[in-house]
Amino acid sequence: MKMKKEDRKGRWHTAIKILIVLFVISFVASWFLSIFMEDDFRMQEGNVAVIPIKGIIITENYNVFGQEVADSPTIVNFIEQADKNPQIKAIIFEINSPGGAPVATDEIASAIERTNKTTVAWIREMGTSAGYWIASSCDTIVASRMSTTGSIGATIAYLEFSGLLKDYNITYQRLIAGRYKDIGSPFKAVSEEERMLLQKYLDRLHGYFISSVAENRGLPEERIRELATGMIYLGEEAKELGLVDVLGGKREAVGLIEHKLNITAELVEYKKEPTLADILGGVFSRQSFFVGKGIGNSLMDARQFSGIEVWT
Amino acid sequence: MDIMKKRGLKLPKEGTFTGPALVWKRLLAFLADLLIINLVLFFPFKRILQKAIPEFGDYSEAYNYLAANQGYTATLTVVSFVMALLALTYFASMEYKIRQTPGKILFNIRVMSDVKEGAIWQFVVRNMFIIPIFPFVLLWIIDPLFLFFTKTNQRLSEILSKTKTVQNYIV
Repeated sequence: MKMKKEDRKGRWHTAIKILIVLFVISFVASWFLSIFMEDDFRMQEGNVAVIPIKGIIITENYNVFGQEVADSPTIVNFIEQADKNPQIKAIIFEINSPGGAPVATDEIASAIERTNKTTVAWIREMGTSAGYWIASSCDTIVASRMSTTGSIGATIAYLEFSGLLKDYNITYQRLIAGRYKDIGSPFKAVSEEERMLLQKYLDRLHGYFISSVAENRGLPEERIRELATGMIYLGEEAKELGLVDVLGGKREAVGLIEHKLNITAELVEYKKEPTLADILGGVFSRQSFFVGKGIGNSLMDARQFSGIEVWT
Repeated sequence: MDIMKKRGLKLPKEGTFTGPALVWKRLLAFLADLLIINLVLFFPFKRILQKAIPEFGDYSEAYNYLAANQGYTATLTVVSFVMALLALTYFASMEYKIRQTPGKILFNIRVMSDVKEGAIWQFVVRNMFIIPIFPFVLLWIIDPLFLFFTKTNQRLSEILSKTKTVQNYIV
């Protein structure tokens, strides 16, 4: 009987030892997993999503020279995530963008229009062109009196080397099937007919832009057409013109939501945390960019405009 | 016994034999193990689960949210898989080492291997039903059916792993 008791005691000891080892493994495993889930956790907290739209708006995430870009698949994904999350009551779009590609812009603007949440565009330094198009899709636009906005227009620009090729006695051999297949080729001068076609293409794009903004802002198309000269406006001016609703910043954007929904806003930023590869890639491309910029500056007759950079 | 001898009666000596463990004992032992796993092994995961699962009004809301967040669902799947692996390790390692789990010790039942030296694979296979992926989830239905409808009260995973759950009977 005594033997049996000792045997049973021994089994309990072994069981407890195994249990302790497994508890330690469980603790380490949960800690390890929580590191990877931190982003998911973060997005569960708060009731107002903040989605940043910074840099050029494009359809693919190219990290050109470490420059910040806003890629439409990521932003649309964030909008859909926020839309499906019952805890999220409103979305603030933090816009600091000079513009971007039309398709990427349309993808983001459509996603904003589809969402059932209250949406506020908070234009910071710049919300021009495509940046403004996206802002106009939101229920309300908040901008600083000094924000740069507007620039309702479209542009096609490219460098033409035909003169340079001629100087170096290089001939551009043109073999095309389809009359306009090499329209916009940098190796030949654009013909008058081609120029007209490209202009027609741009005008059509401009028309989409104008009608979208007019519809989004609830203003007559004619009124927007008058403003759609490609001109940029300061926030204050834009408010007078009806392109912006409220002058202010983050505080005003949050206050607006709190007042409208009668909630205490807890902000949660939806952003992709950079991976180690992104960070390293960014450092290397920045280094390369500044090396290139240094060489370029030494070769060029650079003009200094009292330290103020003007972006278009 | 002395009285019996005096009376000239020759009764068989008190003996023990091993037979299939009673189903209610197995069930209670399993529940006790689940309780220990929940309180001890899954304790560190409580924070993850509390944060990971938002408060939903109803099932359709939860379903819509998870369907829209495939990446998030994948992460939750990884978490549940890791938890299942821990539970499997709990059963397999205990049964391999001491042929019992704390629940089985409490209810005096144990695992016996049909082959002489029980190998670790046998104890892993007999607990495969814990893994929450296809086809192991089918065992959640098949195993209890085998348990109730076989003479030896063996689950299918026990038959496959050449093991059985037994207890001592005193005669």
